[in-house]
Amino acid sequence: MKLTTIIAAGLIIAAQLGITAARAQTSEVDVNALLQRIQELEQKVKAIELEKKVESSEPTPKATASVPPVEPNVIRELDQKIRVLERNQELTAEAVEARAKETPRLTVGSGGFALSSADTNFVLKLRGLVQIDTRTFIDDNSASIGNDGFVVRRARPIIEGTVYRDFDFLLTPDLSGSAATLVDAWVNYRYRPELQFRIGKMKGPVGLENLQADSVGSFNERSMVSALVPVRNIGFQLGGDIGGGVASYALGVYNGAGDARNPANNDFNDAKEYAGRLFLQPFKKSSLAGLQGLGFGVGGSYADVTSNVNGLPNTTGGTLPGFVTSGLQQFFAYNPAAGAVTADGVHWRLSPQGYYYYGPFGLLGEYVVSDQGVLNTTSQARANLAQTAWQVSAQWVLTGESASFTGITPQRAFDPRNGKWGAWQLVARYAQLDIDDDTFGSFANPLTSARSAQGWSVGLNWWLNRNIRVLTSYSRTTFDGGGGAGATAPAAVTQQPEEAFLTRVQLSF
Amino acid sequence: MKMKTILKTTAGLFGVAVALALVLSGSVAAQAKEIKLLNVSYDPTRELYQDFNAAFAKYWKDKTGDTLKIEQSHGGSGKQARAVIDGLEADIVTLALAYDVDAIAEKARLLPADWQKRLPNNSSPYTSTIVFLVRKGNPKGIKDWDDLVKSEVKIIPANPKTSGAARWTYLAAWGYALKKNGGDEAKAKEFVTKFYKNVPVLDTGARGATTTFVQRGIGDVLVGWENEAILSLAESGKGEFEIVWPSLSILAEPPVAVIDKNAKRRGTEAVAKAYLEYLYTPEGQEIAAKRHYRPRNAEIAAKYAADFPKLELFTIDEVFGGWQKAQKAHFGEGGSFDKIQNSQR
Repeated sequence: MKLTTIIAAGLIIAAQLGITAARAQTSEVDVNALLQRIQELEQKVKAIELEKKVESSEPTPKATASVPPVEPNVIRELDQKIRVLERNQELTAEAVEARAKETPRLTVGSGGFALSSADTNFVLKLRGLVQIDTRTFIDDNSASIGNDGFVVRRARPIIEGTVYRDFDFLLTPDLSGSAATLVDAWVNYRYRPELQFRIGKMKGPVGLENLQADSVGSFNERSMVSALVPVRNIGFQLGGDIGGGVASYALGVYNGAGDARNPANNDFNDAKEYAGRLFLQPFKKSSLAGLQGLGFGVGGSYADVTSNVNGLPNTTGGTLPGFVTSGLQQFFAYNPAAGAVTADGVHWRLSPQGYYYYGPFGLLGEYVVSDQGVLNTTSQARANLAQTAWQVSAQWVLTGESASFTGITPQRAFDPRNGKWGAWQLVARYAQLDIDDDTFGSFANPLTSARSAQGWSVGLNWWLNRNIRVLTSYSRTTFDGGGGAGATAPAAVTQQPEEAFLTRVQLSF
Repeated sequence: MKMKTILKTTAGLFGVAVALALVLSGSVAAQAKEIKLLNVSYDPTRELYQDFNAAFAKYWKDKTGDTLKIEQSHGGSGKQARAVIDGLEADIVTLALAYDVDAIAEKARLLPADWQKRLPNNSSPYTSTIVFLVRKGNPKGIKDWDDLVKSEVKIIPANPKTSGAARWTYLAAWGYALKKNGGDEAKAKEFVTKFYKNVPVLDTGARGATTTFVQRGIGDVLVGWENEAILSLAESGKGEFEIVWPSLSILAEPPVAVIDKNAKRRGTEAVAKAYLEYLYTPEGQEIAAKRHYRPRNAEIAAKYAADFPKLELFTIDEVFGGWQKAQKAHFGEGGSFDKIQNSQR
């Protein structure tokens, strides 16, 4: 029977494919078409075999006798031709597979859109972050009315990627303001995980909360702690992860930036800021599950600023540099009764920080002291002012997913038709910012600027899936000092506690 | 005063931080004392380097205390060279022909152009040649190159575009025809054209060609590496094949080289150099001979003389003027091999 199969298959293949001309060239044969053809031929062979069975069972000796005998060399030749066909088909399939391995890949998913070379040495990712907020201030006074509304908080197309395997880049503009701003623009060389060199505009190393991605924070706005560290910095940074993240470090030289500032893209000041951070997760690789999520460290910076108003805090929420609440209302400003204030002298920061994550529970705490030399340009009064802040925030993921510094991955992405509702996260925070007593008089007006602010917040966040998130929170901030007459911040803000109800719908991919 | 205190504290913390980072880095390095070495080689050397790697790793461990993990990568020699050029981080290449290493030096500048002078015997610690493996009883009566171009004979070589063995095979056939026809290039081309007309399957590498002939039972004669033919003979175990040594063949000199820039970057320069030098030691030569490569060492060669019959061999320099010329004339774009292929479509 095997011999019959070989003969039949050989004859059919020879007839159908013109096998006599078959050669071992690297052909452009469509493998699928060839497979289909072979399947057809196999079916024909089976049909012939069946026919022969029927013929052999019929008592027609004359017909059987009429089949000519097949020469052994013909059989061998046909056998060879079939084997050659099969082998060439294999080689063609291998070639197709090899070509597929060299073909660039397009990936579309919850992580964004990515193009990469077959060897992944070149990668281009298109990502994005859009945050639409509402802010509602409850029982706000007449001076503050008008603050409620919708806000496009962030609108960022994010382009990141890798070239030549070891060079990463990130480019992030923000289109949410009245004018587009540049948030990130850096190039990073990964010599090894422990040794990386980054240059450009980036997050500085000082604040822990500030280093957390904008898309995963527990509340709409960072706490008052982050009011004392720069949002971004421009410069050169050496950093890396040691022991698979058991220790991480960063050391850099930057143009320097005032507290909570995203600095301009150029700098006309020779003074530079030196900053660094060491963060340890000593049990990250251990078998102690309860301690694997423990991390702590310290960050700090040092600069010697010469008469630079941009060295003072951001002006958000007001017209002068100052600090803001969770509702981004300015409760303190460098607003002396006479003269103007500028940064002048040594500015240093120190920030012990840590977090702890275990299962659905997470805790993050941080303290910052920002000690800054300031000058009243009219009175020529000078001082070093130590502004301090601290915060503790906690979270509990009600649906059981693991909490982490990098966010939550919902186990059951929102799909109401199938009874899936995403992940729900309960969050709470307490934060406090204290103004140095020496600030008041020559550098700030105690009648309008608060001497300290204390705020607590609770919230419920809904992670529909990895890309969509809805945040709701209530914050209450109380003030010591300030509260004097005035229709603008900071006076209008400090006249009574701030009660803010904030929501956000976020798309991030 | 307050500021100074805090600054001192900061400086101290950074000092501790840096020290801790260094200690952790050092401890990681200490844990990772294992040294990794990547040898990118051609198709049929798997068995040779499995044995050699084990021997060298032991030698290195005894000498330095370091644990070596040697990874091997095998494929058609030309493809392997291309992979290194494209970024495969080979510490060492052990390829089928010098041209492929030249390509790495020229196109990727990962090692100097004179790399072949760095080790004895043109950096070729062992040699081989091109022979015929036929089926039991030699049913087609194949004795020499002329028998391969008979119309009824089906030949299994690899593809010269991707395989080093195949290029050696092509040049051996060409060299034979040249000698037979008094140096007539046209007749040599005619001979090689007939040769490839008898080829039903062109594999990308020598090992693939062996698979086609031995396992798939295709063709009457496998034309390729002597070491591969002897290995097939040894592994078949049932006397299924016979080796035919032709009257004339080519001296194949597979070269070895450290890929300097990769080795320097990976911190493996010393061990990579020692690895190649060990190939020239009696231990290394004996492993090569046992794996059917002709050793350079006279004593080892004498010991294994019975395994390697004497036959007349010509070198690529003698007949083709070296690899660069041979490559350009025969295997480059529009070279004689392309013309032969096109004439048969």
